[in-house]
Amino acid sequence: MNNTKLGNFEAIALILTIIINHTILNLPKALVDTTKSSTILNLFYVSIIAIIIATVIYRLFKNFPGLDLLDISSYLGGNFLKVFIGILFFAYFIISSSTLLRCFCNNLQTLYYPWTSIVFIILLFVIALMVNGHLSFNATIRSNLFIIPMVLISVVFLFIANIQNFSIHRIFPLLGEGLSTTFFSGISNLFAFGGLAFLYFIPPYLKETKDFHKVTILSIILSALYLLFSVSTLLFMFNSFSETSKVMPLYDAVRYIDFGTFFQRLDAIFLLIWIMSFISYLSIVTKFSLDIFKKLSNIKNEKNLVFSISLLILAITLIFKNTSMLNFFENTLYKYIFFILVIFISISILIFANIKKRINKRIVG
Amino acid sequence: MNNRKWKYLFIFIIFLILIYTFSGSYTANSMDNLAYVVAIGIDASENDKMKVSFQFIPNSAMTTEGGSSDDSEPIVNTVESSSIETAINLMNVYIGKELNLAHCKVIVFSEEFAKNGVSTTIYTLTNNTELRPSTNIIISRCNADYYIKNSKPSLETLVTRYYDIFPNSSKYTGYTANVTIGDFYNRILCDTCQCTAILGGTNSNNNSANTKNDSDIISDESSISGKRETENIGLAIFNGDKLVGELNAIETLCHLINTNDVSTFILSVPNPNDETQMLDISMSHKRKDKVYVDTSSGTPYISLNIKLTGKILTVTSDSNYIDENNLKSIGNYTNSYLESTISNYLYKTSKEFKSDIDSFGRYAIRKFLTEDDWNNYDWFNKYKDAFFNVTVDADIKSSHLLTES
Repeated sequence: MNNTKLGNFEAIALILTIIINHTILNLPKALVDTTKSSTILNLFYVSIIAIIIATVIYRLFKNFPGLDLLDISSYLGGNFLKVFIGILFFAYFIISSSTLLRCFCNNLQTLYYPWTSIVFIILLFVIALMVNGHLSFNATIRSNLFIIPMVLISVVFLFIANIQNFSIHRIFPLLGEGLSTTFFSGISNLFAFGGLAFLYFIPPYLKETKDFHKVTILSIILSALYLLFSVSTLLFMFNSFSETSKVMPLYDAVRYIDFGTFFQRLDAIFLLIWIMSFISYLSIVTKFSLDIFKKLSNIKNEKNLVFSISLLILAITLIFKNTSMLNFFENTLYKYIFFILVIFISISILIFANIKKRINKRIVG
Repeated sequence: MNNRKWKYLFIFIIFLILIYTFSGSYTANSMDNLAYVVAIGIDASENDKMKVSFQFIPNSAMTTEGGSSDDSEPIVNTVESSSIETAINLMNVYIGKELNLAHCKVIVFSEEFAKNGVSTTIYTLTNNTELRPSTNIIISRCNADYYIKNSKPSLETLVTRYYDIFPNSSKYTGYTANVTIGDFYNRILCDTCQCTAILGGTNSNNNSANTKNDSDIISDESSISGKRETENIGLAIFNGDKLVGELNAIETLCHLINTNDVSTFILSVPNPNDETQMLDISMSHKRKDKVYVDTSSGTPYISLNIKLTGKILTVTSDSNYIDENNLKSIGNYTNSYLESTISNYLYKTSKEFKSDIDSFGRYAIRKFLTEDDWNNYDWFNKYKDAFFNVTVDADIKSSHLLTES
């Protein structure tokens, strides 16, 4: 069992970390590509669906207090199902974080280190990951609790500082490409709430299992607000946002901030905050991946695996040959994997496990 | 070796790797290896090529506080090439340093070049990580090379300070605009608005006799003379990425009134008591303009309601600005003068330039529910047939210090 227990704020910050780091990169662009000018309307709609899904997950977990998805899979389908689901989630966490890392490093290289090989930029993060992995998870959680408010404040600041450049008219036409795109195919924008995947593994970490509901709902609401601020900033600022692709659109918005001629060029500060947030994200994902691996392989001390996992992440990041491959994974494949694995397979397992429990209760009764 | 020693060895090796790898970026990007460009001028050339001029400030001028006038004398080098990036590369080899655009303040296109379209150059420059979105775009009526060579600051020591400050005059004159590459790039891709740029030129041809009113001036044709041989008066109008026309000072002011981009401005209207004389009034917006666009028929009907407030600046020997009727009469004159000037300007943008530079499309798009409906309406094509109804409600309060004389 895990020794580290999370308070409510720590758990919320942890889920927010996952969503925030996707947003810094291409997530807003992917959302707007689907729903164009109706993205804000779609975001309200998708947020409501995310809250409903989070509530369903909470309800389904209610009969299994303190257990995670792997324990429940084991209960439902024995060791086979546990290993199967474990491998899927392990691969999902490692591949999605590696893609994100490669994307972030590509952008860093373009912006600040054009003369440095991408391998060394990635190595910076991998080394940070190795060092972090050898510290206790408490250290990651605490530092995350410090970094996440900074990131949230930075995005609100970005919104306020750019208000002078906003044109509210850009939310028109209100329905974007039409009713069906906004409300039917637009459901695919639910993948923005990728942090939902971590809800399946959080219960054993919570100090108070009864607060699981509070944690899920609050983290989804805060994520929705964060997404709303980010997407609004970009949509209101750039006419061209839906037509062109920019490296880190939020970074581009930062470049527009100036207060007179004495307070300009804040990009470096924002990037520093985002780098810290990104290291935090990688540490959290690695921790959860290690825990999954630990449960699958029954090893006693997972800390020695930190090096292997970090090197695995490094190896995957080097597979991507160009931005086209990265975009395909981030904007297309990631979407499908999220819906199939995080929504469909995981919720089905929870539903069947609940049915099994009810049947077992009846038999015992 | 024990565990601890391995740990130190590991940290030491990592430290060495990082120093070695990141020193490449540091060495190449140190101050001594960079040449900071403060302005770029782009002229048309033969064989589909472009003539690119780079204005530099010597490093000594940037490091010395204030800088002596000799030190800060800008250097302009010109190169002919087929693209902007090639021009940068050729200039790199000529000066033996890497050009850096992080401090580039203005990009100047010659009229001739802009008429053939600037989108490729704008996209390429926007793609450059060093160039700031706040860099100003100027269309020069003379050669861009001549413009930047003669843009010598008259009151500042450094030309960069002049480039930083001059667009701000749009806020209190309305005779020029603060157009940046960020705005320009957004507007090229915009489906509800079109591009403008600052209009620059020389002030060596004093043509005051050609203009009826003081505010009819335009760059290259003003009555201003001074140490600096360039001036920025008026606005360049684009349809898509091609230059299609120019606005003089008063038309630029009308544009800025419509877009709410002018804080305060001075307007000269005929004196109701003596039409041979002009009254100067300092005006500002009372509230944001109300714009209504009717798209129910094939031709858009655009209704514009402007509320202004003003204080009279001109005082004659028989002025009486305490009398309400007098103020009302001046107000009415101001209203009808502005209504006709703004209407003429709007019809010029629609009929002559066919360019919606005032972004009325942003109001029209509200009437449509989906992008398909909006695209089918074909706003830019309809704009040339638009009708305008301008109402101005100017509230003339008083004069400044003297109310009666």
